[in-house]
Amino acid sequence: MSENLRITNNKFIDQTTRISFKFDGKTLYGFKGDTLASALLANNIHLVGRSFKYHRPRGIMACGTEEPNAIVQVGKDSSMTEPNTRATEIELYEGLEASSQNCWPSVNFDIGAVNNFFSPLIPAAFYYKTFMWPANFWKLYEYFIRKSAGLGKSPTEPDKDIYDNRYLHCDVLVVGGGVSGIMAAKIAAKNNLNTLLIDDKNTLGGTTLFQQNECFKINNSYSNEWIKNEIKTLYSLKNLTIKTRTSLAAYHNYNYLLARENLTDHLDLKERKNKIRQRLWKIRAKKVIIATGAMERPLVFNNNDRPGIILSSSIKKYIDYYGVKCGQKISLFTNNDSAYETAISLNNSGVVVNSVVDIRDKTNSLIVEQAEKLGIKIHWKSTVVNTNGYKKINSIEIMKLSDDGTSVVEKKIKEECDCLGISGGWTPRVHLFTQSGGKLKYREEDNVFLPEKSELDQISIGSCNGDFELNEVIKNSVYSTNKFLNVNNKDYENLEVTSSKEIDKKNIWLLPSDKPFKKTKSFLDFQNDSTANDVKLALREGFKSIEHVKRYTTTGMATDQGKLSNMHALGIVAETAGVKMGELGTTTFRPPYTPLTFGAIVGRNVGEFFDITRNTPIHEWHVEKKAEFENVGQWKRAWYYPINNENMHEAVQRESKAARDSAGILDASTLGKIDIQGTDASEFLNRVYTNAWSKLEIGKCRYGLMLNEDGMVYDDGVTTRLSENHYLMTTTTGGAANVLSKLEDYLQTEWPELDVYLTSVTDHYGTVSICGPNSKKILSKIIPDLDLSDKEFPHMSFKNAFINDIKCRVMRISFTGEHSYEINIQSSYAKSVWEKCFAAGKEFNITPYGTETMHLLRAEKGFIIAGQDTDGTMTPIDLQMDWIISKKKYDFIGKRSLYRSDTVREDRKQLVGLLTDDPNEILEEGAQIVSETNKQPIEMLGHVTSSYFSPNLNKSIALAVVKNGKKLKGQKMFVPMKNKTINVTITDTVFLDKENKRLNA
Amino acid sequence: MFLINCPYCGERDQSEFTAGGEAHIVRPKQPTELSDDQWAEFLFMRKNIKGVQFERWNHAHGCRKWFNIVRDTSNDKIHAIYKMGDKPPIK
Amino acid sequence: MLNFNTPIIDTKEYSEIKISKAEPILKINLRGKNRDFITKIGKELSIITPVDPNTSSSNEKLNLLWLSPDEWLLYSNDIVDLKDANFLEDKLFNEISKVKLGSVTNVSDHWIMINLKGAKIFELLSAGCPFNFNNFKNSKGAVTQTLLNHIDVIIHNKNINDLNLFVRRSFSAHLWSWMNDSAKFI
Repeated sequence: MSENLRITNNKFIDQTTRISFKFDGKTLYGFKGDTLASALLANNIHLVGRSFKYHRPRGIMACGTEEPNAIVQVGKDSSMTEPNTRATEIELYEGLEASSQNCWPSVNFDIGAVNNFFSPLIPAAFYYKTFMWPANFWKLYEYFIRKSAGLGKSPTEPDKDIYDNRYLHCDVLVVGGGVSGIMAAKIAAKNNLNTLLIDDKNTLGGTTLFQQNECFKINNSYSNEWIKNEIKTLYSLKNLTIKTRTSLAAYHNYNYLLARENLTDHLDLKERKNKIRQRLWKIRAKKVIIATGAMERPLVFNNNDRPGIILSSSIKKYIDYYGVKCGQKISLFTNNDSAYETAISLNNSGVVVNSVVDIRDKTNSLIVEQAEKLGIKIHWKSTVVNTNGYKKINSIEIMKLSDDGTSVVEKKIKEECDCLGISGGWTPRVHLFTQSGGKLKYREEDNVFLPEKSELDQISIGSCNGDFELNEVIKNSVYSTNKFLNVNNKDYENLEVTSSKEIDKKNIWLLPSDKPFKKTKSFLDFQNDSTANDVKLALREGFKSIEHVKRYTTTGMATDQGKLSNMHALGIVAETAGVKMGELGTTTFRPPYTPLTFGAIVGRNVGEFFDITRNTPIHEWHVEKKAEFENVGQWKRAWYYPINNENMHEAVQRESKAARDSAGILDASTLGKIDIQGTDASEFLNRVYTNAWSKLEIGKCRYGLMLNEDGMVYDDGVTTRLSENHYLMTTTTGGAANVLSKLEDYLQTEWPELDVYLTSVTDHYGTVSICGPNSKKILSKIIPDLDLSDKEFPHMSFKNAFINDIKCRVMRISFTGEHSYEINIQSSYAKSVWEKCFAAGKEFNITPYGTETMHLLRAEKGFIIAGQDTDGTMTPIDLQMDWIISKKKYDFIGKRSLYRSDTVREDRKQLVGLLTDDPNEILEEGAQIVSETNKQPIEMLGHVTSSYFSPNLNKSIALAVVKNGKKLKGQKMFVPMKNKTINVTITDTVFLDKENKRLNA
Repeated sequence: MFLINCPYCGERDQSEFTAGGEAHIVRPKQPTELSDDQWAEFLFMRKNIKGVQFERWNHAHGCRKWFNIVRDTSNDKIHAIYKMGDKPPIK
Repeated sequence: MLNFNTPIIDTKEYSEIKISKAEPILKINLRGKNRDFITKIGKELSIITPVDPNTSSSNEKLNLLWLSPDEWLLYSNDIVDLKDANFLEDKLFNEISKVKLGSVTNVSDHWIMINLKGAKIFELLSAGCPFNFNNFKNSKGAVTQTLLNHIDVIIHNKNINDLNLFVRRSFSAHLWSWMNDSAKFI
């Protein structure tokens, strides 16, 4: 470490705790409390990256979120590495490894730097213009452009860190813990408002925390001492929550805000284990107080981007807060008073201040006079016309400005320096205000955009609201806060504030040089490498809207969103185009304010918690039996049960055969179940299903088809009449929630006169379905006292029963075409009943089957699956299910649509069966169907919706939708695949047991 | 994310609600007597206004009740909330 | 005998958070619109039917939660014998549904009840729930239906830092796992 760059009497850095870290592979040392940037500067390292386009050497330029240049890659581990982090925001920790980005092979020798010599050839939109032709070459261009331009490397492995989300509701949110934010938070909390104060730094206090200057005093103490006491009181207030290292990322409508809290990034690596790295706070605030302060602007002049050119206020923070000298011989260049604060701070710490170059005429504010008293040299009405030094600034060239400020006059003075502080005035941080939809107004006198109008319950106070003098900040913040919160706090009533007042203001967006304009390089956007030249070129080429200029030149489009560059770009556009800044408006600031990690956004919703899973009450049994699972909506359903290394096909063939030959058992618990009660229940069913329900006998079941108002099939299922005014409706697994919500919608909005109540009982019942020729024998073993004769308990009927004193409902219904029963029992006993059935069925080789076999078995019978064979464009007539539409009913949902001109078309796609000429050929679901093979182009007539190899028929079967399919029965068709064409014949949809004999077998 | 004042449960986060399209479109009582065009008017035609719009919302993850909202689509400001069957409090 | 099975069997304790399931208890969903219905429930259960939104009423054995202007959830404090449960369900069904006052539906196994106790349970909820608990926390008997980690839940404030949370059975294993995960980081 270069000892001479550290001052030793610093209060904020723990100079007793040395921390080692690596930058670009080299081991360096800093102290506890340093940022990576301050530690690098203390090691006299300014050059930290190369610019995006020209690969010019770039150095640390700021000390906070607005840093455009010191963008580094942190960490080496391929799962933990993080690109595009700002060195000015990384708190130093033991073991930190960081490296420069955007340079190859190294920051000191960068091959891309050759671009700098060609830079006249790389104007704005160079890439757009050059790599347009020929279009198919883009792939090639892109590879090289990305390689040379890349901004950091993405991690290649899953992130090992832990992230979290948390909701928070408060009365008042104060964003920013500087002098205004601290006062606002205290006023709010002391008036019994539940208050949250957040700040992105590791400590409250803002820049006042290290402001020890005669010109800024409160109640006769230095402002830093005053604020330290204020902070102490804050921590004792009980209604106040304070979160530091917490950065507000987004401000949405209805005072919904997102803030990212950094919990472990500042800790030593070994202390971070099993801790949440970052937490995203989802905040709902009744009222929001924005106190985000202002950021210093750079100045735009020739070669204003060399390493060692730093914002003047940052130089002040580095010396006053971190105790780091940015140089030994520092020059300052300014258009306002704040550079004099830096000059005085540097002077007090023993750093040589060469001079202050000020574009204004001589001015006599308190702070300027103090600087003059200390003997600091000032070049009035002057500008820096050039800087020298390739990897680090070594001198500046100064000239006098003409009276109108557009050119330079008199003799050029060369001044040697190792650092140049620049100050172009202050830009209020209005980003959050505009994110929330607030409108800005322009203040001519100091060229700032300020909050004007917001629809939300919020205010901006302090310098983000345009108050730059300490006495005004205090007076106005206190007044506005009291008024906004409708309280009358008197804590700050009689403060005595000393504050230097800036008397003269002057601004030149683009400072003149002695060189012709075209030969200068005056950077606006340091990160995206766009210059004043680029913006002027865009205007010459006809771009007028600031939004277009921004996109064409990419000014303000880098990861810093142009925090430092936007104002100058606007200024130069306005000046060149001859319009007023206020009329030009600004570009839009979008969230996040600083980049967010994906980890923080998703929180714990990774891995096991990526998506919600639902289990049936019999789930454990399927797991024990090593079933493969299928996701159906959020449900985990048993897909098939492989034995002895069977693959899916083998398992499904075995299961399907067993179910028809003897007995199969299926977990049908996922079906949606709705309990319907009320005197109008039958009428209600009449209106929601296509068929008639009034005459359904008590104890009987009926299949129903539900349509949308557009006549398209929506859902289907069996509904059972339990008693006069009591039904149990079943829906498809995936449709359950939507069906219930749709039915509630009709009851509440269209038919409020109906006396009907719907209650979901999906999870209350577990459903065990046993099917096959031996299902009756098995059921009789379980419920011996139930008469299972076809007369007493026919197909499509139900019985109440008891299994060992537990009530259950047994439905004799079938989705496989086999004789089968569904036992519905309270979920707590479903697994036990399943096991009982399984044991009872053992002698019949009862075989558990999953959803795949279920699908195969129903396809053999031509039963549809809503959502697989239908896709929201199929009417019941298209499905050849005309029989289910009641002719007598006056109305039901979707009825009128069934005879719209479009739905009565004969050539609609209709459901048909398909048989392949080669019975062993299995069609692919989704495959297209055509009528000819040698014509091109050929019309696609339809597609395969379901396809299986049927072990019971010993051939491949399929369902498909085909244009005019009903009339095409017996016709040959073709299914063209990648390597071959499959010949098929259109058939009936029922492949097995057309007479339904098996139902009563 | 809006905050929606459910007329039954009070102010809740938008994630508890689902939107149900334009409000005050009454299902015809005698659909069979309508021409294709008239039925299509009910079935398909919806306004899509930049400005004040009347909408149906459902407190799907709360009381499951449907209600109406008057919302300005240009700034998402909710001007009024009223129960199903009630007359809109503003025009 | 049929065996009773529940997806959640244990009790977990973390710093100032204890989560445990409480089963089997009786749960009945009640729906109805008119005055008679409300009076009848009150009479049958010896409990005042809560008609104010987001409230509940309780007696020694039972709790009745307001869910919507025409819907309530009844649940028992203690484990209920199956016979007693059937008896109560049948009685209510006969006195309400049968006489066309409303609906009575047994939902004992539709919901799983999880009890949360401790000073930090609201922090646990805030990890996945957009609901504002600031007032709810201090109002004994308050009820809310909301989302927890995207899953529908009913939350009943039994006592200070003592909540009963209802989640649909099929979601319960997932939510339980999520709650345990989140509790680790409180």
